[in-house]
Order: sequence, then C-alpha cells, then structure tokens
Amino acid sequence: MSILRRATRFRELPVLLGLVVVYLGTGFLNPIFFSVSILNDIFFGVAIVATLAIAQTFVIVMRHIDLSVGSVVGLTSFLIGDLSSRGFSLLAVLFAALLVGATVGAVNGFLVGYLGLPSLVVTLATLYIVRGIFNEVGKGQTIVESMVPKELNWLGLNRLFGISYLFVIVVVLMLIAGVLMQRTRAARDLYAIGSNPSAAGLVGIPVKLRVLAAFTATGAISGLAGAVMLARFNSSSTQSGLGLELLVVAACVVGGVSIAGGTGSVFGAVTGAVLLQTILMAIGALGIPQFWQLAVNGSLIIAAIGLDRYLSTRLRSTNIMGASS
Amino acid sequence: MKKRNSILAAAVTGAFLAFGLVGCATTDEAEAPATSAAGTTETAEVLKIAIVPKAINIGYFTGWNEGAQEACAELGATCDYIGPNEITGAAQTEFINQVIQQGYDILVISAADQNAIVPALEKARDAGIIIVTSDADVAAEAASSRVVSILPSEQDDIGTAQVDWMAEAIGSAGSVAIITPANAANQTAWIEAMGPYLDAQYPNMEWAGGSLESATFYANDPTESAEAFSSILAQYPDVAGIISPTTVGVLAAAVEKKAKAAAVKVTGLGLPSEMAPYIEDGTVEKVGLWNPLDLGYVAVYAAVAAKNGTFAGATGETFQAGDKTYTVVDGGIAYLGEPFTFTKDNIAEFKLIY
Amino acid sequence: MTKLTIPKVVFSWDKGVVLFLVLSIFIGSYASEYFATASNLSFVIASIAEIAIIAIAMAYLIISGEIDLSVASIMALTSASIGYAFQEGVPFEIAVVLGLLVGLLAGLFNGVLVTIFGLPSLAVTIATLALFRGLCWVILENKPVNQLPREWIDLGNKNIPGTFFPWATILVVLFAGIAWFVLHHTKLGRWVFAIGTNPVASRFSGIPVNRVKLGLFVFTGFMSAVAGVIYTLRFASASPDGGAGYELSVIAAVLFGGVAIAGGVGTMWGVLAAVLSLGVIKSGLQLAGFSANALLVVSGGLLLISVILPRVTEFVRIQRSKASTIKRTQQKEKERVQK
Repeated sequence: MSILRRATRFRELPVLLGLVVVYLGTGFLNPIFFSVSILNDIFFGVAIVATLAIAQTFVIVMRHIDLSVGSVVGLTSFLIGDLSSRGFSLLAVLFAALLVGATVGAVNGFLVGYLGLPSLVVTLATLYIVRGIFNEVGKGQTIVESMVPKELNWLGLNRLFGISYLFVIVVVLMLIAGVLMQRTRAARDLYAIGSNPSAAGLVGIPVKLRVLAAFTATGAISGLAGAVMLARFNSSSTQSGLGLELLVVAACVVGGVSIAGGTGSVFGAVTGAVLLQTILMAIGALGIPQFWQLAVNGSLIIAAIGLDRYLSTRLRSTNIMGASS
Repeated sequence: MKKRNSILAAAVTGAFLAFGLVGCATTDEAEAPATSAAGTTETAEVLKIAIVPKAINIGYFTGWNEGAQEACAELGATCDYIGPNEITGAAQTEFINQVIQQGYDILVISAADQNAIVPALEKARDAGIIIVTSDADVAAEAASSRVVSILPSEQDDIGTAQVDWMAEAIGSAGSVAIITPANAANQTAWIEAMGPYLDAQYPNMEWAGGSLESATFYANDPTESAEAFSSILAQYPDVAGIISPTTVGVLAAAVEKKAKAAAVKVTGLGLPSEMAPYIEDGTVEKVGLWNPLDLGYVAVYAAVAAKNGTFAGATGETFQAGDKTYTVVDGGIAYLGEPFTFTKDNIAEFKLIY
Repeated sequence: MTKLTIPKVVFSWDKGVVLFLVLSIFIGSYASEYFATASNLSFVIASIAEIAIIAIAMAYLIISGEIDLSVASIMALTSASIGYAFQEGVPFEIAVVLGLLVGLLAGLFNGVLVTIFGLPSLAVTIATLALFRGLCWVILENKPVNQLPREWIDLGNKNIPGTFFPWATILVVLFAGIAWFVLHHTKLGRWVFAIGTNPVASRFSGIPVNRVKLGLFVFTGFMSAVAGVIYTLRFASASPDGGAGYELSVIAAVLFGGVAIAGGVGTMWGVLAAVLSLGVIKSGLQLAGFSANALLVVSGGLLLISVILPRVTEFVRIQRSKASTIKRTQQKEKERVQK
C-alpha cells in the first residue's frame, strides 16, 4: 500500500489536519499567535481535559460513556488539597485520590458491566451523587495555595524544555495508555466490545470483566487528574470540575474516538483536546468579540465533528451494515 | 393488552385523584399560608428568619451567613441558612418558595439574578414576609419587592476605588484590562463607573484596545478567568494592569501571573484568606473588599427593625445595627461604607477572619 | 387441583413510575406539613412545566434512538430572541411567535446535522448546546431584558382562577394529550418505536427514517421554544444564561420515566409521571429540610433505581418462569411415570 493511502487511512488525520489549519490560520492572521508563550498556554491549559480525555477513551471505544468524570476530578482536586493541609504526605494523598476515583469507576463499571445498565444513565446518576456528596463535604471551603502540596505546585509552575510539566505528564500517560491499547489483549478486547457487543461475548471475551476494568481505570485516572487540576489552578472549590464532562466527550469525538465505539486512540483524544484548546486561544487572539466566542466555539466543534466524520467515512471501506452512529 | 391498559388507567386516575384530594383538602387555606400577620406583634414570639445566599457552597457566603447568625443571636431570632447549590435565578426561586411555604417572617437574600427572582419575591412580599436584599440587589425597577437593600458601598465608589488601586500599582500610566463575570449586575455597575473615571482622572492610563468594551474580558469561573488572563496577554502584550472586580477572577489572575511570572499588575476585589499567599509574596500589592460578615449582620438588623414597625426603608430613614447607624438613600439602599483594602501590612490579621 | 395463583402483576417500569408518583405525593405530605398546600402544589407544577414540555419531545427523540443535549440552550435562545425583539419595539405577541420560530429553526439545524450530514446526535448536540447558548450572548450581550408586559408576566405566574393550577398547565396537558395519542395510537408513533428498535429494518420496510427523525428534532426544538416562552414569563425576564443545566434534568426525567436510552421502549404516561414525581419528591424533601446537596444525591439515587428496578424485576420474572417451566416438566414426568 502506498504511503499516501496508508496516511489517509490514519484515523487521526482529520483532527491533526484541523489542528494544523487552526494554528497556522490564526497565526497567519495574527503573528503574535506563533509565540512560544501561546504554545505554553495551550499545553498548560489543556492538561486537565487531555488527561480526562485519555481516561474517557477506554470507555468510549466500548460504546459507553462516563459523565461522572467532572464530579470526580473536582472532588479529588479538593480532597488532595484538604488532606495535604492536614499533614498527609504527597504519596498518601495521591493514593487517596486514585482510590476515590477508582471506587467511583468500579461502581460505574459494576452497574454497567454486571447489571447491564446503560452507561449514560448510570454515570449521569453518579455525576449527581458524587457532586452532592462533594458539596456537603466541601462545605463552601476553598483550597488555597498554601494547602497545595509543594510538589504539585512545582509541577504547575515549571517546564521541561519549555513545555509545562503538566503536559509532560499527559504525554507520558498517553504513551503508556497508547501502548497498552495497542499491545495488550485486554485493551484490544475493548475495541471488540465496542464494535459488536454481542459477538464479543460469543467469541469468549470476558465482557463484564473488561467493562468493570475499563470504568475503574477511567475513574482512577480521573481521580489522579485531580492532582493535575490542583497543580494548574493552585486552588479548588466545590465549583471545580462543573460541566467538564461534556468538554471531555467533545474532545474525544473531535479526536476520532467515535461515539459508536470500536475505533479511536488515546493519541486522537489528546489531539482533540489540544485542538479544542487551540480554538479557544485562537478565538481570543483573533480578537473575535467576547460575546461571539461561545457561538464560534460551538460552530468550530461542529465543523470538527463533521470533518472527522466526512474523512473517516470516505477513507474507510464501508461495510454492508453501514456506519451507523 | 386491554387488561394492562385498564390497570394503567386506574393507576393514573388514582394519581390524579390523590393529587386532587391533597390539593382540594387544602384549597381552603389562603393562597399562601399566613405568617404571623404583618403589623401585629405577638408577645415573646421568636422571629423566623431565612438567610438565602446566591449559592450555599461558596466561601464568601459562608462568611456572610456568619455575620447574619451573629445578629440573629443578639436579637434572639432563629435563622436558617438555606439556598441552592448553583447560582441561578431559577434555583434560588425554589428556595424563596420554601421560605413562603414554611412561613418565615423575614427573608434576607443575596439576589442570584436581579430579574428572575422578582416574581417570587413579590409573592413572598404579598404573603407578608419582610424582605431585605443584601450583597446583591434586585433590578432598580423592582425596588418595591424588598424593604431595603444593604450594599457594601456606592456602586460608583467600588468601581473607582479599584481604578485608584490600579493606578497606584502601575504608577498611573499604562493600559488596563478587566476580567469580570458576564451578566452580573453588581460587576456591570462597577465597571460602568470605572470607565469614565479612569478617562477623567488618569490621563496617562488607558483602557486596553482603546475602549472599555475592548478591555473587558468575561469569565464566569476559575477556568475561564485563567483563560481570560492568557487572552489578555495574547491580545495586548504590553498591558500594564488587570482589574478583576470579583474574588474568583482576581484569585485566578494572581495564580496565572505567578505561574507565568508575568509583569502585569493585578488588583481587584479579593477575599483576604484566598489572596494572602499572593499578597505576602508580592505577586499582588493590594486588593480590597468589604466584610461580608457586616453585610449579613446589618441586613438582619434592618429586617427586624422593619418587622417591628420602626423602619420602613424610605429615603432618609435610619436604623441601628450593633453600634452604628445606617441611612437609606435613593433607591432604597443603605451602604456600609468604604471598601477595605488589604496589603502586606494587614493581611496577616484579616486572612484569619474571612 | 387448586392452583395457588399469585397474581402475575406484569410489572413494567412506566406503571411503576405512576405508582411512584402516587407514593411520592403521600410521602411528600407526610414528610412536611408545608407540602400539601395549594400554593406549594401550584409552585411545584409551575416549576416542572418547562421540563415536562421538553420531556414530551425528548421522549419521542430518545425512543427513536437519538438524543438532543441542546434543548436548554434552545430554550434560552427563544427567551433571548423574545426579549431582544420586545426591547426593539416589536409587540410582545409577535416576539413570542418569533421566539417559537427560532426554536423551530434550531431544531431543524440539529436535525439536518444528524440526518443529512450523518453526525452522531450525542456529540453534535453537545456542540449546538454551545452554539445556541453562544447566540444568546450575541443577542443580549450582558444586558438582560426585564420590562415585560404585566399581563404576560401574570400569565406566567398566576393560577387558573379557582384552582391551584398555573396557566401553563393547560399547555402541558394539551401537548401531553396529543403526544400520548400520536405515540401510542397512530402509525407515526409506531414508526418512532420501530426506528428506535431497528433503524435498518425500518428503512427496509419503507419507513422514511431520516424524515421522521428530522421531524422529531424540529419538534424538540419547537417544544424547547414553548418551554422558553413559559420560562421567560415565569421569571419575568430574558437573560443569556437562563435555563443552564436543564437538559440533564429533562433527560433524567425521561429516563426515570421508563424510556430506554437504547431506544424503542417508553410511554408518555411514564415520562409525565416521572417529571411530576421528581418535582414532587424534590419539593417534599426540600420542605422537610433536606439541603440542596442532599437533593442532588437523591436525584442520582432515583435515576439509578429507575434502571436497576426493571432489571431486578426482569430477573425475578425470568427466574419465576424458569421455576414454573421446571415444575411443569417435573409434573409431566411424574404423570408419564404413573401411567
């Protein structure tokens, strides 16, 4: 197969193309956009959503969804600050965050995998429940900088070769997850489950176990993302993470992780998140009037989804059942 | 199939019957349950006061409530702190309804939306409940829906004071930008005052981009505020200062400034407990605020005075709260005084209070 | 031989919700003395009117296998359009019609993206949620409109004389009645179920799947607009951030009402009972002293129960039928041996 054809079959091509177009286009119109500080802003600002997008990928490729991530990341970012100010070590608080996230994920995974409940409903319910518990526990407090573990503070403020450490964490996570998704049997099963749930069960894939594991992993990573959030904002409150889940799903979809399941990669998810963040910064840099920004943002996401869909249906051979979403 | 339908029909009819029964049984009651009738004072009756913030999960309002509870304790009233967990008019209306249903005597409220809660407030007022807004008022046209509004300082003063702090920080020269929540009545008023004041008082200062509109960036939460900060630096790389008339915004701006080691000066309305680290390490020189505890405290006193018939909220009237006297000005508003500023000198003391 | 027949109550979730509604009214009255007053019930009905109207359309959409997350934004866009038009001097009645038209167009936009461009509805309506909300900000900037005509505000806030039903109830009952009839007693309704159950087979059997879905999105847009009108009147104002988050409440209510997220299953009764009972429970618990946070947890819990319970009863039913089959087989064996 020629290189060109191989390239056009590359699932993440549309989103990479979109990213290049937006970045170059904006920079062309406003050269300030090409500055290093803008790049830093993009990578720094995207870290939280990118981490959550990696986590969400495990679930979306199975044709499921996890709406509770916003509540979880808000809760753990608050928890880390709170526990840390009470004297617990960094490792202890990170472990606590991981545990909380994994627990919520496990509950989600059990209800979806073993009881066969629809993931939209289950995770919507856990979104409410976790947020409600979080609000009660938080009692209107704010986590201030003095309560943030020094190490997280440092990670948030410093850079490796000019790129914020927070994004470095994202890249490392992406590489690990990417390798897992490609190389391990368990992860490849997730794609099978998403492509054809009933067939997957019939060929001997332990579907229930995989679903449980995937949701738990998503929850655990979302829990750890709380550390990223705390490092980014140096503060947290009961308003943290509100509404984040929709942005994360948008990032995944834009990045080629199809809602229909069975396809997509963590690389695509991260690229999707970066694209959305770039669009956000581009809107500001292009001097688009404040009140137009949300509308423009929405339109561009629609365009991104459309482009992804167009290119993927043109480039992939269609099967007889049609690609239904 | 037919049998299932008839079971279903029976159940539904049952539901409506139940609803109707319950409703009819109580239609005899007045349109709203009577509170202790306005005007008549019963001996030794403990007043029931509802303290309703914009949202209960916000630290600023926790302080506001503390002040209110203090007043309640002094006055021997029972005060309940209830409210929604999101700042929307629709959500707050549900709690205003609760106040009506549970027969509270007084409602002290910080308006989540200056327009949306007005119909509900009017219902409460018609039911005989004394209403005082505090910290955030309803729209000027709806002033009749509450007795009086307790606000920190003249809207203009709050706006112009921040311009003064900014001028101090940047040596009265340079361009200035603003980070503010959109559609927030207080902030809109303050910024409107800032515009002409800066133009008149500080000839060497200007609004970034040439006008107040181009210098104003909207952000409704910490994430958006941080992004607004980046946008400002991207659009106006030479900006000298950023004003943020909201505790969420000024905190986010301070965090961003420190993270990026930016030269831009930051000031605005900040909660001392949140801003302390940034004032102590020099990231921010000065922020200001009033004491939310005072807002709550004074509001309760005003409301109780109104309930007792000694205060009606008319222009020129006065009332006592603690050891101070407050006067009502045009529009049915009583101001607490000048905003308080926090610098390295006094932050250590105030960060422990609120 | 006398068969001890335990009446097989064919338990389907939508009937369960109706029962839950009855139960919740009694729970509410028991939980708080303030619940069962005319004025409170009036408030409860008023507060769920918008959600009920959108839920009617959302039910159709989810049954057909799609979803629309932008409904709250369409509601707000309608409100913003009405406010803006009125402020510019357009007579209020015309402004209302304008608002309804805006909602229709928004729904059409969603529908076209999904049916003609083939974009997944979950993802694309997340984007239009942002787009439509963004248009609200474009229209109103940060200046909400608040001087609406007094007669209209009264329409949005007062009750039908002599009852405790707000005027909006008429709209809810009207739309609900029509929607129920169409869904359960017409060909169109059967088509909607068919499409949700198996879109490919539906297409092969001649159902114009895309046109029906397009129509459903337009319907959803229209109903969101109607809700937007009611919302504007109830809050006597048009503001760019109105109704934020309502879409989750609508979806939660529709799911709680027994509509399967996978499509193909659901009843109008269930949805309406769900909307009403959720409002009732919230009110009762709130008046009994539960905090806003506790109510969030309760909402989540109810949602979970709404999907777990049918699964459990399904399980019980399967076990029962297994047991009875085994029993019958054993009996036949016994008879055969006896012969």
